[in-house]
Amino acid sequence: MVKEVAFQVERAMPVDTKRVRGPEESQSPWLFVQQSRGQPTRVPQTRESERRADGRRRGQVDARPMFARCGLVSQAKGSAYIEAGNTKLICSVYGPRETERKDELDMKAGRLVCAFRLAPFSCAKRCPWIQGSQEKDLTLSLQESLQPGVCLHKYPRSQIEVNVLVLENDGSALAHAITCASLALADAGIEMYDLVLGCSLRQDGAAYLLDPTCREENGDESTENQGSLTVALLPTLNQISGLLSTGEMKEETVVGAVRACVEGCQRLYPAAQQCLLKSVRRKVPAPQN
Amino acid sequence: MAAVQMSEAEKVYIMHGVQDDLRVDGRGCDDYRHMEIETDVVSNTSGSARVKLGLTDILVGVKAEMGRPKLEKPFEGCLEFFVDCSANATPEFEGRGGEDLGTEIANTLYRVFDNGCSIDLKTLCICPMEHCWTLYVDVLLLQCDGNLFDAISVAIKAALFNTRIPKVQMIEDEEGTKEIELSDDPYDCMRLDVENVPCIVTLCKIGHRHVVDATLQEKACSMASLLVAVTKKGTITCVRKVGGGSLDPESVFEMIETGKRVGKALHTPLQEILRKEESLGKKRRKVGFLG
Repeated sequence: MVKEVAFQVERAMPVDTKRVRGPEESQSPWLFVQQSRGQPTRVPQTRESERRADGRRRGQVDARPMFARCGLVSQAKGSAYIEAGNTKLICSVYGPRETERKDELDMKAGRLVCAFRLAPFSCAKRCPWIQGSQEKDLTLSLQESLQPGVCLHKYPRSQIEVNVLVLENDGSALAHAITCASLALADAGIEMYDLVLGCSLRQDGAAYLLDPTCREENGDESTENQGSLTVALLPTLNQISGLLSTGEMKEETVVGAVRACVEGCQRLYPAAQQCLLKSVRRKVPAPQN
Repeated sequence: MAAVQMSEAEKVYIMHGVQDDLRVDGRGCDDYRHMEIETDVVSNTSGSARVKLGLTDILVGVKAEMGRPKLEKPFEGCLEFFVDCSANATPEFEGRGGEDLGTEIANTLYRVFDNGCSIDLKTLCICPMEHCWTLYVDVLLLQCDGNLFDAISVAIKAALFNTRIPKVQMIEDEEGTKEIELSDDPYDCMRLDVENVPCIVTLCKIGHRHVVDATLQEKACSMASLLVAVTKKGTITCVRKVGGGSLDPESVFEMIETGKRVGKALHTPLQEILRKEESLGKKRRKVGFLG
């Protein structure tokens, strides 16, 4: 009896044929498999000499090798693609364009509009396409990190749009997004004081892990001195343009971590310069002798 | 944030004063303005507090509601923040104008409390994987005169100290159905341990020095600020650079050190005042919103 009534109700209600959506709250079973096994894939932190999962050293400035290429998106004024380990991001820059709002501040200097998006398939847990609070937070950090590097006073009444899309997030997405965005801005020919490079770090007890992977970032919360830190640096001018940290740490630890990140950014500089040189050589033909 | 129009001469005057450790209102670089705190101002909440720092006015209400724990953390309760920049503060916040600032502050608060030490969320669990207490912390900006983060963090600490969560018990029937029972006595409550709740200290870089608790005028002279969240033990839960300028690494280290010193010194008198206010009990004269 009950079944018949339910069937009639179903026929009466309009069926949404355009979208096939899963249940309201769905989780991937892979998120819970590791938990029940007691997380065997995590590296045990006992001594400083223990290596990390991918062979890098703990407590040393050992970043993942970075692959960067400019000029991928033909429609955009400038673009860049970065791959570091499994983290893949792409950034495109449009502008300078005329600004929509005409505030008094816009008359003197330009405006930098950033957007940081995580593709829904990029993280272990599916992100909804509507921008969440975490993305807004990272967008604001990205904008505050890039602003000191760009000569905005040379572009009055205009806005420069920077769109970063994370295709695969395997740790330190914000740090690489900052690097990718500055390479794209340089590729677009936007005048800058210096490149802005980003580096992040995970503090795991007494040792730090530079450029952490996703698994290293989600550390064990029960031990002391656990935290994450991201630093954005202008290498030639040696100025910190962005600093973001989470987790409870002692002051000396935070200071040590910032120094390590600054050194990480300095080491990244030659690679970024090489990438820009290659892109300029490709765009501009060699002079005929 | 509400913008203040300042001439170049005023900015130079403020900068020169700060170089000599003398600010416009006579404070030193590490001094706070006069702060007034009152708890239990709103009766419909589980806990509330109002903080006045100079002319900045913040009202925080905490409501405890029963909900489901998150799937990744089945043995813990939740803490949700919401910041509302009301149009009372400045006309710029009318409609959706204050939304950007509200989300920025809320995201920073999530980051500051995102560790296992500030608030022990395990005490908010009623039945693992099924029921837990969710604390909705709602912050209302009534007046804006610079240094919002500091005032908001102090207000949150006071409101959480004032929060009273009713004690509940899970009773299992013979058939296995679980029921939640509330005790009959309305004053039989659970209190939160706010010893480790951090306070945020905002340091603004003006010229070559940095100041604590900047007013709107001082903020207009500074290009970059550093936000440091410090607990009573002196540990740092969040560091964040705000503003469109850049900072020298050495200044960053100096600012973190000052932030830790000032933040650590803020906790002891705050706890004392909160305890003293509570010990007055019914005899306390409520100041409310007209004082």
